[in-house]
Amino acid sequence: MGKKVGVFVCHCGTNISATVDVEKVAEEAKKKYPGVSYATTYKYMCSDPGQKLLRDKIKEEGLTGVVVAACSPKMHERTFRNAAVKTGLNPYQVEVSNIREQCSWVHQDKAVGTEKSIDLVRMMTEKTRKDTSLDAIKVPVTKRALVIGGGIAGIQAALDIADGGNEVILVEKDASIGGHMAQLSETFPTLDCSQCILTPRMVEVAQHENIKLYTWSQVESVGGYIGNFDVKIRKKARAVDLDLCTGCSSCWQVCPSKKIKSEFDTELGNRTAIYIPFPQAIPSKPVIDKEHCLLYRDARKKNIPPEDSKVCRKCYDVCPIAPVKAIDYAQEDEIVEVKVGAIVVATGYKELPNNVYGEYGKGKYQDVITGLQFERLASASGPTEGEIRRPSDGKEPEIIVFIQCVGSRDPAKGCSYCSKTCCMYTAKHAMLYKHKVHHGHAFVFYIDIRCAGKNYEEFSLRAIEEEGATYLRGRVSRIYKKGEKLIVLGADTLTGSQVEIEADMVVLASAMKAQDDAEVVARTLSIQYDKDRFFSELHPKLRPVESSNAGIFLAGACQGPKDIPETVAQASGAAAKVMALLSSDELEREPVVAKVDRLPPPVFSTCIGCFYCQRVCPYGAIEQEDIKARDGSVIKTVARVNEGLCQGCGLCAATCRSKSVELAGFSDEQVYAEINSVEFN
Amino acid sequence: MSNETTFEPRIVAFLCNWCTYAGADLAGTGRKQYQANVRIIKLPCTGGIDPLFLIKAFERGADGILVSGCHPGDCHYNSGNYHARRRWNVFKPLLEFCGINPDRIQFSWISAAEGGKWVETINSVIDAVRVLGPFEGYQKINAIGPEGPGEGFAPSSDTTGCECK
Amino acid sequence: MIEALRKKAEELLKNKTVSVVFGYGEGSTPERTRPVFITKPEEVNKLTWNKYCVYNLTTYLKRQETRKLGKPAIVVKGCDARTLIVLMKESQIKREDVYILGVSCDGVGDPLAEKCKACDVHTPRIYDDLIGEKGENKELPFDERYAELDEYENLSEKEKWEFWQKQFEKCIKCYACSNICPLCFCDRCIVEKNQPQWIDPSAHARGNLSWNVTRAYHLAGRCINCEECQRVCPVDIPLNLLNKKLAKEAEKNFNYRPGYNIDDELAMSTYNEKDNQDFVR
Ligand SMILES: Cc1cc2nc3c(=O)[nH]c(=O)nc-3n(C[C@H](O)[C@H](O)[C@H](O)COP(=O)(O)OP(=O)(O)OC[C@H]3O[C@@H](n4cnc5c(N)ncnc54)[C@H](O)[C@@H]3O)c2cc1C
Ligand code: SF4
Ligand code: SF4
Ligand code: SF4
Ligand code: SF4
Ligand code: SF4
Repeated sequence: MGKKVGVFVCHCGTNISATVDVEKVAEEAKKKYPGVSYATTYKYMCSDPGQKLLRDKIKEEGLTGVVVAACSPKMHERTFRNAAVKTGLNPYQVEVSNIREQCSWVHQDKAVGTEKSIDLVRMMTEKTRKDTSLDAIKVPVTKRALVIGGGIAGIQAALDIADGGNEVILVEKDASIGGHMAQLSETFPTLDCSQCILTPRMVEVAQHENIKLYTWSQVESVGGYIGNFDVKIRKKARAVDLDLCTGCSSCWQVCPSKKIKSEFDTELGNRTAIYIPFPQAIPSKPVIDKEHCLLYRDARKKNIPPEDSKVCRKCYDVCPIAPVKAIDYAQEDEIVEVKVGAIVVATGYKELPNNVYGEYGKGKYQDVITGLQFERLASASGPTEGEIRRPSDGKEPEIIVFIQCVGSRDPAKGCSYCSKTCCMYTAKHAMLYKHKVHHGHAFVFYIDIRCAGKNYEEFSLRAIEEEGATYLRGRVSRIYKKGEKLIVLGADTLTGSQVEIEADMVVLASAMKAQDDAEVVARTLSIQYDKDRFFSELHPKLRPVESSNAGIFLAGACQGPKDIPETVAQASGAAAKVMALLSSDELEREPVVAKVDRLPPPVFSTCIGCFYCQRVCPYGAIEQEDIKARDGSVIKTVARVNEGLCQGCGLCAATCRSKSVELAGFSDEQVYAEINSVEFN
Repeated sequence: MSNETTFEPRIVAFLCNWCTYAGADLAGTGRKQYQANVRIIKLPCTGGIDPLFLIKAFERGADGILVSGCHPGDCHYNSGNYHARRRWNVFKPLLEFCGINPDRIQFSWISAAEGGKWVETINSVIDAVRVLGPFEGYQKINAIGPEGPGEGFAPSSDTTGCECK
Repeated sequence: MIEALRKKAEELLKNKTVSVVFGYGEGSTPERTRPVFITKPEEVNKLTWNKYCVYNLTTYLKRQETRKLGKPAIVVKGCDARTLIVLMKESQIKREDVYILGVSCDGVGDPLAEKCKACDVHTPRIYDDLIGEKGENKELPFDERYAELDEYENLSEKEKWEFWQKQFEKCIKCYACSNICPLCFCDRCIVEKNQPQWIDPSAHARGNLSWNVTRAYHLAGRCINCEECQRVCPVDIPLNLLNKKLAKEAEKNFNYRPGYNIDDELAMSTYNEKDNQDFVR
C-alpha cells in the first residue's frame, strides 16, 4: 500500500549544517510529510557508518523508499542506491535531495536555507512516493571493435585491442594508413625519423590476424548502442582489386598523367593518377584518382561507363596479373555491414591552410609554406630528398623565418586555442634547418614558448642555445615580396622595436584544426563536439577518452591538438576501455528508458500511432508495432520503445500529446508529484 | 508599498541534468551566493519538458518559471534542446497572447561550466518577477480550485486519485 | 457542380472503388446542410454542394462508426483537404485508403466565414477528382492571412489577460471542440488521463485555462484553421484566435504551414539548427 519513506539529512561535516538547521529539516519531514515514517540526520551520510545507518534503518524500519538530503545527486546518488541494494531495496526507490549545492553553499541566511531545504526535501519525498522499482537492462556484447581513422592514434588503438585478443576493424578514408605522422620528417623531442618508427607498426596492422583493414573507406552509418553497434562501411571503388593486386608498381610507372599534385607531399611534389600515396603505404596497392585519370575523364565527358572508354588503359594493359587483371575500371562502391561492441574515433586533425592570412600573402607567395610542407622538405623521402629548397626556384634559403601561433590563439581567425605542438615542432624545424643549411640563419617569431613535457624545455633551448636560432617575441604584421626576397615585418616586443627581415623563405606554424567533416562524423556517431569542432570527451579530467555516447571512445588529435606521445597514450587508454567493455558478455544499463503504455482490449494502448515520438527520438529507438486481432487483421499500429536503443532523454514523452509514452524514473506521476509539491515557505 | 517589500517571488526552474543542473551545482561548489527563491526540478533533457509541466507550475502558484538546458550543439542527446526550442517558439508566444508577461516564463542555455551564468540568470529572473509582483491573475483563478496555494500543500494521494495499482 | 459530384459518387460506388461517400446533404432548412454517408449508388441524389457546406467532413475519418463503413470517398474543400495531408503525415490515414473528391470553393457561410476571408486554397491542393473549375491558388501575403489577430495582439498585457479570462471562464468543459476537431484524434485525450490528472476536469477557471492553452498547443503546427472547434463551442469562445496565433508563430519561425505541402516535415517533430532563439538567454 502506501510507501514508507525514510528521510536522511546529512550534515556533510558542517558544509550543510552550518547554514541549514538539519535537525529541523528532519523533524519537519517526519511531522508533516505524508508517507515519511522515519527521519534522522547524520554527520556524513556517504561515509561507511553513514551507509550502514541507511542500510540498518531500511531494514529496521521496513522502509520502501528513501530520500537522502545531502550533496548533489551527481556526487553520491549511486553510492546511496548501491547501499540500498544490499538490503534488497530497489535502487530506484532511493532519491537524493540536493540541499548542499542548491542550498547550504549558496544561501548564507540559515533561516532561509532551512526553509528552502524543507521544501526541497518535500519535493523529493513526493517524487519518491511515486517511484517504482526498475530493473537494470541487460544487453549482450559483440566482441569486436571498430577503429575509425588510421593515423598513429588509430594504429595504436587497433594494435592494442587486437593484441588483447579481440577482432578489430580499422577504417581509413585515405588510400593508406599512417595519417600525419607518416608525413613528418623527424620527431621531437628525440629527432628520430618518423617513418622509421611508424612503418613497422603499419606493417604490424596489415599482418595482424585480428585486424581487418578497410582503406579508401568511410563509415556510412552507425546504429545501435554500446555493446551492439550496427555499422555500415562504404568501401569506395578504388578501381583496383585488392585481392588480385600484388603492388608490383608496373601501373603507376606507366601512367602518363604524372603532374598531379601529391597530397601526401603537401603539393610540393607530384604523383600519377594511379598511385600509392608514399612508398611505404599500407596497403602498398594503388588507387585510381578518378578526377585526374585520363580514362575516367574521357568517360565523364562522353557520358559512357569508364570500362567502355578507349582512352589510355595503359595501367590495365601493363598489369601482369592473369587471367583476370587487378585493374577494374567498372568497380563500384561496396557497402559492408558489421556488428561491433565498441568504437574508437581517431580521425585526427587538419592543418590550417596557408591561404587564410591576408597579411601573410594569402597563399600567393610560393615560399611562404606551412609546417607540414616544411616537414616534407626536410624528409628524406620528400620531394627534395630532404634538402631544404625554396618551392619557387629550388634555391637553398639562407635566411628563414618561422612564425608561431599562426591561427592559434587568435579568435579572429577562428581558433582561440593553443595548438600545443607548434612551439616544439618549430624548434625542431629550426634545428633541422641548421643541420641541413649550416651557413643559414633562422629567426623564430613567437608569442610564448610553451614546451611543457618530458625533455621538451631542454629540446627547445637547444634550438636557441646550440643551433643559434634567433627567437623574437612578437607578431609578424605583414609579409610582402620584394624581388626574390620576402620582407617580414614584425615587432620585437622585448626590445620594443620594429624588425624587418629580408627572408628567403617563411614557415607558418599553422594551427591544428578539426577535420572538415568533423560535424558529419559526430552526427553519424551521435557524439558531441566543442566550439572548435573537436570531439568532446565525457569529462575533461576524469573521463578523457570517453565520448558522450556510451561505447564510443576518442583517441588522438580528433579530440584536440596533441603530439604523438600524448596521442599514443590516449589511444592506449581508449583501447584499455574498449577491452574492459569487450571482456564482459553482458552489459547492464540504467533502466531509465521510455515505455509506451499497453492496456487491456479494446484499447490495447492509448497510443494512437501518430509517430511524433518516432520522429523526434534521437536514437531511432521507437518502432511501430501492429496490434492484431485473433484473425491476424491489424487493429491498430502503435509505438513501441526498443529498450536497447533508448537513452532516456524523454523527448518522446514530452512530444506525445496524449502522454501515452513515459520515461521510467521520470514518469508522469513522479514529475507531477514533484511539481505539485512545490510550495515555497 | 509595503506589499512590494515583503513579496518574495516563487520561481520554479526546470533544468536538464547534463548542463544547467550541473552548472547550478558548480555555482554551489564555488560558493556563489544567489537568491533563495527558486525550486529546481531536474529532468534528463530540456527536450523532455512538456509545456504541460510549466502550466502545472503556474497552477501550483509559481510567479515565474525558468527553463534551462545545454547550449545548441551541446545536448547530451544531440538534438533534445533543438526540439525543445521549437516548442518554446510557439508556446511562449501563446502564453503572451493570453496575457502572461514574458518575464514570467524565461529560457536560457547554461552549460555545466557556467556556474556564474546560472547565478546571474536566476538572480535576474527573480528580480524581474519581483518587479512584476505576484502572479495575481493566475492565483486568483487558482483560488477557485480546491488546492490553491496558501491552503497548505496537497499531498499527491489527494490529487491523483487512487494509489493502488 | 452538384450533378458532376453526384455522377462521380455514383460511379465510385458502382465500380466499388469506395464503399461509402462522405458528403454534404440538404439540411432541415435551406441555410443548413448535414453530413451524409452514402453507401448505395441510388442514393447519390442526397448529395449537395452550396455555400452552406461550412464544416469539415474529415472529422468523420477518426470516428469508429464511420470508419466501419469501409473505404470512403470524401468531399473536401481546399481547407478541408489540408487536414487530409496532416492526417496522412501523422499516419492516421493512408493515401490509398481514401478517395478525395475535391471541390473548388469560393467561400462558404452566410455571412462569409472568417476562414474564407484569407483563403488561398480555393482549389484543393490534393484530390483524386476535382469537382468544379480548377482555379489558380494565389498565395496571400503573410500579414493578410493573419490580419484577424492584429486587434488582439495589440491589446495590453492586462487587457489580453482579462479578455481571455472572460472567455475561458465560460468554458463548460464539454469537449465539443476536441470532439469535432479532425486532428484531435487521440484515443485518450490528455484531459482523460487521471493518473496523474494534469488537467482538472471540472469546469473552473484554473483548469479551463490549462485546458484551452493545452488544446491549442496540441494543435500547434497542425491546425489547418477549419474553425470547426470555434463553430461548435456552445459558449462561443473564439478558439480560432488561439489556433491562428499558433499557426502564425509556426509559419513565422519555422516557415511552415500545416497541410500545405505534403513533403514538408511536420513542424513540431523536427527542428532547424538555426531556429529562432532571440528569447533564450
Ligand atoms: C607540422 C607538424 C609537425 C609535427 N611534428 C611532430 C613531432 O615532431 N612530434 C610529435 O610528437 N608530434 C608532431 N606533430 C603532431 C602529430 O602530427 C600528431 O600528434 C599526430 O599526427 C596525431 O595523430 P592522429 O592519429 O590523432 O591524427 P592524424 O595523423 O591526423 O590521423 C588521422 C587519420 O584518420 C583518417 N581519417 C580522418 N577522417 C576520417 C574518417 N572520417 N574516416 C576514416 N578515416 C579518417 C585520416 O586520413 C588519417 O589517416 C606535428 C604536427 C604538425 C602539424
Ligand atoms: S507520440 Fe504518443 S500517440 Fe503518437 S505514436 Fe508516439 S506514443 Fe503514440
Ligand atoms: S526517451 Fe528519448 S531515446 Fe528513449 S525512446 Fe524516447 S525519445 Fe527515444
Ligand atoms: S483546432 Fe479547430 S480549426 Fe484547427 S483543425 Fe481543429 S477544429 Fe479545425
Ligand atoms: S486536446 Fe490534445 S490530447 Fe486531447 S485529443 Fe486533442 S490533441 Fe489529443
Ligand atoms: S467547446 Fe468550448 S466550452 Fe466546450 S470544452 Fe471546448 S472551449 Fe470549452
